[in-house]
Amino acid sequence: MIKNFEFLKENLPGTDIPGKARVKCRYRDLSKFAKVYGFEDPKYVGSKEDGIVACKAWANAITVKSFYILIPATKLTQNGEERPFLLNPNKLLHAGNQYNWEGCVPMKDGDKIISRGKWGKMWLNKDNMILFAELLLTAKNENDETVVKVTTQAAVRPGGY
Amino acid sequence: MTKLADFSVGQEFINEFDEINRELLQLYAKASGDTNPIHTRDEIAEKAGLNGVIAHGLFSFGFITKMFEDMLNQENDGQLIECGVEMRGMVRCGDTLVTKATVSKVDGKDVHFDIEQRTITPVDIKDKEGNIVKQFEAGERGYISEKDEAKGLVHTKEVDEGILTFRDRLACPGHAIIRLKM
Repeated sequence: MIKNFEFLKENLPGTDIPGKARVKCRYRDLSKFAKVYGFEDPKYVGSKEDGIVACKAWANAITVKSFYILIPATKLTQNGEERPFLLNPNKLLHAGNQYNWEGCVPMKDGDKIISRGKWGKMWLNKDNMILFAELLLTAKNENDETVVKVTTQAAVRPGGY
Repeated sequence: MTKLADFSVGQEFINEFDEINRELLQLYAKASGDTNPIHTRDEIAEKAGLNGVIAHGLFSFGFITKMFEDMLNQENDGQLIECGVEMRGMVRCGDTLVTKATVSKVDGKDVHFDIEQRTITPVDIKDKEGNIVKQFEAGERGYISEKDEAKGLVHTKEVDEGILTFRDRLACPGHAIIRLKM
Protein backbone atom coordinates (compact mmCIF):
# COMPACT_ATOMS: atom_id res chain seq x y z
CA MET A 1 0.00 0.00 0.00
CA ILE A 2 2.81 2.39 0.85
CA LYS A 3 4.42 1.75 -2.55
CA ASN A 4 1.12 2.49 -4.28
CA PHE A 5 0.67 5.66 -2.24
CA GLU A 6 4.21 6.80 -3.08
CA PHE A 7 3.61 6.09 -6.75
CA LEU A 8 0.38 8.11 -6.77
CA LYS A 9 1.93 10.95 -4.77
CA GLU A 10 4.81 11.15 -7.19
CA ASN A 11 2.66 11.11 -10.32
CA LEU A 12 -0.64 12.86 -9.65
CA PRO A 13 -0.38 16.18 -7.75
CA GLY A 14 -0.50 19.10 -10.17
CA THR A 15 -1.79 17.07 -13.11
CA ASP A 16 -5.08 17.65 -14.90
CA ILE A 17 -7.86 15.17 -14.33
CA PRO A 18 -9.17 13.94 -17.68
CA GLY A 19 -12.80 14.61 -18.53
CA LYS A 20 -15.38 16.99 -17.18
CA ALA A 21 -18.59 16.89 -15.19
CA ARG A 22 -21.71 18.66 -16.46
CA VAL A 23 -24.57 19.91 -14.31
CA LYS A 24 -27.70 21.59 -15.68
CA CYS A 25 -29.28 24.15 -13.41
CA ARG A 26 -32.96 23.45 -13.91
CA TYR A 27 -35.58 25.68 -12.30
CA ARG A 28 -37.28 22.69 -10.69
CA ASP A 29 -34.08 21.43 -9.06
CA LEU A 30 -32.82 24.83 -7.90
CA SER A 31 -36.11 25.73 -6.24
CA LYS A 32 -36.60 22.29 -4.66
CA PHE A 33 -33.05 22.36 -3.37
CA ALA A 34 -33.55 25.80 -1.80
CA LYS A 35 -36.81 24.63 -0.21
CA VAL A 36 -34.97 21.78 1.55
CA TYR A 37 -33.24 24.48 3.59
CA GLY A 38 -36.34 26.58 4.13
CA PHE A 39 -35.57 29.44 1.74
CA GLU A 40 -38.67 31.52 1.05
CA ASP A 41 -37.12 34.51 -0.73
CA PRO A 42 -38.24 34.78 -4.41
CA LYS A 43 -34.58 35.21 -5.32
CA TYR A 44 -34.23 31.45 -4.74
CA VAL A 45 -37.76 30.02 -4.96
CA GLY A 46 -39.71 32.58 -7.02
CA SER A 47 -41.38 31.97 -10.36
CA LYS A 48 -39.56 30.67 -13.41
CA GLU A 49 -40.69 33.75 -15.36
CA ASP A 50 -39.05 36.14 -12.89
CA GLY A 51 -35.91 34.01 -12.75
CA ILE A 52 -34.14 32.51 -9.75
CA VAL A 53 -30.54 32.00 -8.67
CA ALA A 54 -29.09 29.01 -6.87
CA CYS A 55 -28.51 29.19 -3.14
CA LYS A 56 -24.87 28.75 -2.16
CA ALA A 57 -25.24 25.11 -1.10
CA TRP A 58 -26.22 24.18 -4.68
CA ALA A 59 -22.47 24.03 -5.29
CA ASN A 60 -22.74 20.63 -3.57
CA ALA A 61 -24.53 19.23 -6.61
CA ILE A 62 -21.53 20.16 -8.75
CA THR A 63 -19.01 18.82 -6.28
CA VAL A 64 -20.70 15.47 -5.85
CA LYS A 65 -21.08 14.92 -9.59
CA SER A 66 -17.48 15.98 -10.23
CA PHE A 67 -16.24 13.78 -7.41
CA TYR A 68 -17.82 10.61 -8.74
CA ILE A 69 -17.11 11.31 -12.44
CA LEU A 70 -13.61 12.75 -12.33
CA ILE A 71 -11.93 10.54 -9.73
CA PRO A 72 -12.63 7.26 -11.55
CA ALA A 73 -11.49 8.89 -14.81
CA THR A 74 -7.86 9.04 -13.72
CA LYS A 75 -5.70 6.25 -15.08
CA LEU A 76 -1.94 5.76 -14.77
CA THR A 77 0.71 3.29 -15.83
CA GLN A 78 2.39 1.54 -12.91
CA ASN A 79 5.06 -1.11 -13.53
CA GLY A 80 4.10 -1.19 -17.19
CA GLU A 81 0.40 -1.82 -16.55
CA GLU A 82 -2.49 0.58 -16.74
CA ARG A 83 -4.35 1.07 -13.47
CA PRO A 84 -7.06 3.44 -12.33
CA PHE A 85 -6.40 5.81 -9.44
CA LEU A 86 -9.16 4.05 -7.58
CA LEU A 87 -8.70 0.27 -7.39
CA ASN A 88 -12.00 -0.24 -5.53
CA PRO A 89 -14.69 2.45 -5.77
CA ASN A 90 -16.36 1.15 -2.60
CA LYS A 91 -13.36 2.38 -0.62
CA LEU A 92 -13.89 6.00 -1.63
CA LEU A 93 -15.16 8.51 0.93
CA HIS A 94 -15.85 12.20 0.66
CA ALA A 95 -13.97 13.83 3.54
CA GLY A 96 -14.36 17.57 3.14
CA ASN A 97 -14.90 20.57 0.92
CA GLN A 98 -13.76 24.14 0.69
CA TYR A 99 -15.76 26.46 -1.54
CA ASN A 100 -14.55 29.80 -2.82
CA TRP A 101 -16.97 32.20 -4.53
CA GLU A 102 -14.73 35.28 -4.64
CA GLY A 103 -15.13 36.95 -8.05
CA CYS A 104 -17.66 34.34 -9.14
CA VAL A 105 -21.05 34.93 -10.71
CA PRO A 106 -24.17 33.27 -9.25
CA MET A 107 -25.57 30.12 -10.82
CA LYS A 108 -29.03 30.63 -12.25
CA ASP A 109 -31.89 28.77 -13.85
CA GLY A 110 -30.85 27.55 -17.29
CA ASP A 111 -27.10 27.56 -16.68
CA LYS A 112 -25.08 24.67 -18.03
CA ILE A 113 -22.17 24.20 -15.69
CA ILE A 114 -18.98 22.40 -16.62
CA SER A 115 -16.49 21.43 -13.96
CA ARG A 116 -12.89 20.40 -14.55
CA GLY A 117 -10.23 19.48 -12.07
CA LYS A 118 -6.59 19.02 -11.14
CA TRP A 119 -5.08 16.80 -8.49
CA GLY A 120 -3.87 18.72 -5.46
CA LYS A 121 -2.00 17.57 -2.35
CA MET A 122 -1.91 13.90 -1.42
CA TRP A 123 -0.98 12.36 1.92
CA LEU A 124 -1.30 9.17 3.91
CA ASN A 125 -2.55 8.78 7.46
CA LYS A 126 -0.23 6.00 8.61
CA ASP A 127 -2.38 5.22 11.67
CA ASN A 128 -5.27 3.92 9.58
CA MET A 129 -3.60 3.84 6.14
CA ILE A 130 -6.25 6.10 4.66
CA LEU A 131 -5.02 8.02 1.61
CA PHE A 132 -6.21 11.61 1.36
CA ALA A 133 -6.20 13.46 -1.93
CA GLU A 134 -7.33 16.93 -2.87
CA LEU A 135 -9.14 17.71 -6.12
CA LEU A 136 -9.04 21.31 -7.22
CA LEU A 137 -12.20 21.99 -9.20
CA THR A 138 -13.23 25.01 -11.22
CA ALA A 139 -16.84 25.22 -12.37
CA LYS A 140 -17.85 27.59 -15.18
CA ASN A 141 -21.09 28.46 -16.90
CA GLU A 142 -21.68 28.42 -20.67
CA ASN A 143 -20.32 31.99 -20.92
CA ASP A 144 -17.00 30.80 -19.46
CA GLU A 145 -17.68 32.70 -16.21
CA THR A 146 -16.47 30.98 -13.05
CA VAL A 147 -19.34 30.09 -10.71
CA VAL A 148 -17.37 28.39 -7.91
CA LYS A 149 -13.91 27.07 -7.10
CA VAL A 150 -13.79 23.99 -4.91
CA THR A 151 -11.08 22.12 -3.08
CA THR A 152 -12.64 18.78 -2.33
CA GLN A 153 -10.99 16.07 -0.27
CA ALA A 154 -11.22 12.39 -1.12
CA ALA A 155 -10.38 9.72 1.43
CA VAL A 156 -9.54 6.26 0.12
CA ARG A 157 -9.54 3.40 2.60
CA PRO A 158 -6.99 0.55 2.44
CA GLY A 159 -7.61 -1.64 -0.57
CA GLY A 160 -8.88 1.27 -2.64
CA TYR A 161 -5.56 2.59 -3.93
CA MET B 1 -29.07 46.15 6.80
CA THR B 2 -26.19 44.04 8.06
CA LYS B 3 -22.95 46.03 8.33
CA LEU B 4 -19.40 45.66 9.61
CA ALA B 5 -20.19 47.35 12.93
CA ASP B 6 -22.57 44.47 13.73
CA PHE B 7 -19.64 42.05 14.20
CA SER B 8 -17.00 41.69 16.89
CA VAL B 9 -14.42 38.98 17.59
CA GLY B 10 -15.85 36.26 19.83
CA GLN B 11 -19.46 36.95 18.87
CA GLU B 12 -21.49 33.75 18.36
CA PHE B 13 -24.33 32.97 15.96
CA ILE B 14 -26.30 29.78 16.56
CA ASN B 15 -28.87 27.97 14.47
CA GLU B 16 -30.75 24.79 15.41
CA PHE B 17 -32.64 22.49 13.07
CA ASP B 18 -34.56 19.50 14.41
CA GLU B 19 -36.62 18.35 11.43
CA ILE B 20 -34.24 15.92 9.73
CA ASN B 21 -36.41 13.10 8.43
CA ARG B 22 -36.62 10.66 5.52
CA GLU B 23 -38.88 12.92 3.46
CA LEU B 24 -36.33 15.73 3.64
CA LEU B 25 -33.48 13.41 2.62
CA GLN B 26 -35.57 12.21 -0.34
CA LEU B 27 -36.19 15.81 -1.39
CA TYR B 28 -32.47 16.55 -1.10
CA ALA B 29 -31.61 13.42 -3.13
CA LYS B 30 -33.96 14.37 -5.95
CA ALA B 31 -32.94 18.01 -6.06
CA SER B 32 -29.17 17.45 -5.74
CA GLY B 33 -28.96 14.40 -7.99
CA ASP B 34 -27.14 12.43 -5.26
CA THR B 35 -29.43 9.42 -5.34
CA ASN B 36 -27.24 6.88 -3.54
CA PRO B 37 -29.88 4.72 -1.79
CA ILE B 38 -27.97 4.55 1.50
CA HIS B 39 -29.47 8.02 2.05
CA THR B 40 -33.06 7.13 1.26
CA ARG B 41 -33.69 3.40 1.76
CA ASP B 42 -33.21 1.76 5.12
CA GLU B 43 -32.86 -1.77 3.75
CA ILE B 44 -29.97 -0.72 1.49
CA ALA B 45 -28.32 1.25 4.30
CA GLU B 46 -28.67 -1.79 6.59
CA LYS B 47 -26.97 -4.00 4.00
CA ALA B 48 -24.11 -1.49 4.01
CA GLY B 49 -23.82 -1.95 7.77
CA LEU B 50 -25.24 1.45 8.64
CA ASN B 51 -28.31 0.36 10.71
CA GLY B 52 -30.46 2.87 8.81
CA VAL B 53 -30.28 5.75 6.35
CA ILE B 54 -27.67 8.46 6.82
CA ALA B 55 -27.90 12.02 5.55
CA HIS B 56 -25.87 12.92 2.48
CA GLY B 57 -22.37 14.06 3.41
CA LEU B 58 -23.06 17.58 2.20
CA PHE B 59 -26.68 17.83 3.35
CA SER B 60 -25.79 19.54 6.61
CA PHE B 61 -23.42 21.95 4.81
CA GLY B 62 -26.47 23.75 3.43
CA PHE B 63 -27.52 24.80 6.92
CA ILE B 64 -24.16 26.54 7.33
CA THR B 65 -24.38 28.48 4.07
CA LYS B 66 -28.06 29.31 4.70
CA MET B 67 -27.10 30.80 8.06
CA PHE B 68 -24.77 33.25 6.28
CA GLU B 69 -27.18 33.95 3.43
CA ASP B 70 -29.81 34.87 6.02
CA MET B 71 -27.26 36.93 7.99
CA LEU B 72 -26.51 38.86 4.78
CA ASN B 73 -30.18 39.42 3.95
CA GLN B 74 -30.09 36.87 1.11
CA GLU B 75 -26.69 38.28 0.09
CA ASN B 76 -28.06 41.76 -0.55
CA ASP B 77 -25.77 43.17 2.18
CA GLY B 78 -22.65 41.27 1.19
CA GLN B 79 -21.46 37.90 -0.02
CA LEU B 80 -20.35 34.61 1.42
CA ILE B 81 -16.96 34.30 -0.30
CA GLU B 82 -15.54 31.19 1.33
CA CYS B 83 -16.78 28.24 3.34
CA GLY B 84 -14.94 25.04 4.16
CA VAL B 85 -15.94 21.99 6.18
CA GLU B 86 -14.59 18.61 7.15
CA MET B 87 -17.16 15.83 7.34
CA ARG B 88 -16.40 13.90 10.51
CA GLY B 89 -19.65 12.46 11.81
CA MET B 90 -22.72 10.98 10.16
CA VAL B 91 -25.98 12.90 10.42
CA ARG B 92 -29.15 10.87 10.96
CA CYS B 93 -32.90 11.25 10.97
CA GLY B 94 -33.98 12.41 14.42
CA ASP B 95 -30.79 14.39 15.05
CA THR B 96 -30.90 18.03 16.00
CA LEU B 97 -28.29 19.90 14.00
CA VAL B 98 -26.70 22.77 15.92
CA THR B 99 -24.60 25.15 13.84
CA LYS B 100 -22.44 27.66 15.67
CA ALA B 101 -20.40 30.36 13.92
CA THR B 102 -17.96 32.38 16.03
CA VAL B 103 -16.33 35.54 14.70
CA SER B 104 -12.56 34.90 14.68
CA LYS B 105 -11.31 37.97 12.80
CA VAL B 106 -12.56 41.19 11.25
CA ASP B 107 -10.29 42.27 8.41
CA GLY B 108 -11.37 45.26 6.32
CA LYS B 109 -14.82 44.36 5.01
CA ASP B 110 -14.22 40.64 5.58
CA VAL B 111 -15.52 38.83 8.65
CA HIS B 112 -13.99 35.42 9.38
CA PHE B 113 -15.82 32.73 11.33
CA ASP B 114 -14.92 29.43 12.96
CA ILE B 115 -17.73 26.95 12.47
CA GLU B 116 -18.77 24.04 14.61
CA GLN B 117 -21.72 21.93 13.56
CA ARG B 118 -22.82 19.34 16.12
CA THR B 119 -25.46 16.64 16.14
CA ILE B 120 -27.54 16.04 19.23
CA THR B 121 -28.95 12.52 18.99
CA PRO B 122 -31.68 11.51 21.46
CA VAL B 123 -31.55 7.82 22.42
CA ASP B 124 -34.27 7.23 25.03
CA ILE B 125 -36.02 8.59 28.10
CA LYS B 126 -36.09 6.46 31.25
CA ASP B 127 -38.11 6.84 34.43
CA LYS B 128 -36.48 6.87 37.87
CA GLU B 129 -36.55 3.05 38.00
CA GLY B 130 -34.63 2.83 34.74
CA ASN B 131 -37.58 1.72 32.61
CA ILE B 132 -37.64 3.10 29.09
CA VAL B 133 -40.70 5.33 28.72
CA LYS B 134 -39.78 6.64 25.27
CA GLN B 135 -37.34 5.38 22.70
CA PHE B 136 -36.04 7.40 19.78
CA GLU B 137 -34.77 6.16 16.40
CA ALA B 138 -31.16 6.08 17.61
CA GLY B 139 -32.17 3.76 20.44
CA GLU B 140 -34.31 1.54 18.25
CA ARG B 141 -31.74 1.19 15.48
CA GLY B 142 -28.60 1.15 17.58
CA TYR B 143 -26.88 4.26 16.25
CA ILE B 144 -24.88 4.85 19.42
CA SER B 145 -21.71 2.78 19.58
CA GLU B 146 -19.44 1.68 22.40
CA LYS B 147 -16.85 4.03 20.90
CA ASP B 148 -19.23 6.94 21.44
CA GLU B 149 -19.56 5.97 25.10
CA ALA B 150 -15.80 5.49 25.49
CA LYS B 151 -15.19 8.92 23.99
CA GLY B 152 -17.55 10.52 26.50
CA LEU B 153 -20.06 11.64 23.89
CA VAL B 154 -23.11 10.12 25.59
CA HIS B 155 -24.80 12.21 28.27
CA THR B 156 -28.01 12.36 30.30
CA LYS B 157 -30.23 15.19 31.43
CA GLU B 158 -33.55 15.55 33.23
CA VAL B 159 -36.57 16.32 31.09
CA ASP B 160 -40.30 16.43 31.94
CA GLU B 161 -40.83 12.73 31.18
CA GLY B 162 -37.71 11.44 33.00
CA ILE B 163 -34.00 11.13 32.20
CA LEU B 164 -33.02 11.72 28.57
CA THR B 165 -29.96 9.92 27.22
CA PHE B 166 -28.40 11.61 24.19
CA ARG B 167 -25.19 11.83 22.19
CA ASP B 168 -23.53 15.17 21.49
CA ARG B 169 -20.98 14.87 18.68
CA LEU B 170 -19.02 17.20 16.42
CA ALA B 171 -20.20 16.46 12.88
CA CYS B 172 -18.57 19.23 10.89
CA PRO B 173 -15.85 21.68 11.90
CA GLY B 174 -15.07 24.43 9.44
CA HIS B 175 -14.62 28.07 8.64
CA ALA B 176 -16.27 30.81 6.58
CA ILE B 177 -15.59 34.33 5.34
CA ILE B 178 -18.23 36.89 4.44
CA ARG B 179 -17.53 40.20 2.67
CA LEU B 180 -19.83 43.05 3.60
CA LYS B 181 -20.84 45.93 1.35
CA MET B 182 -20.65 48.45 4.22
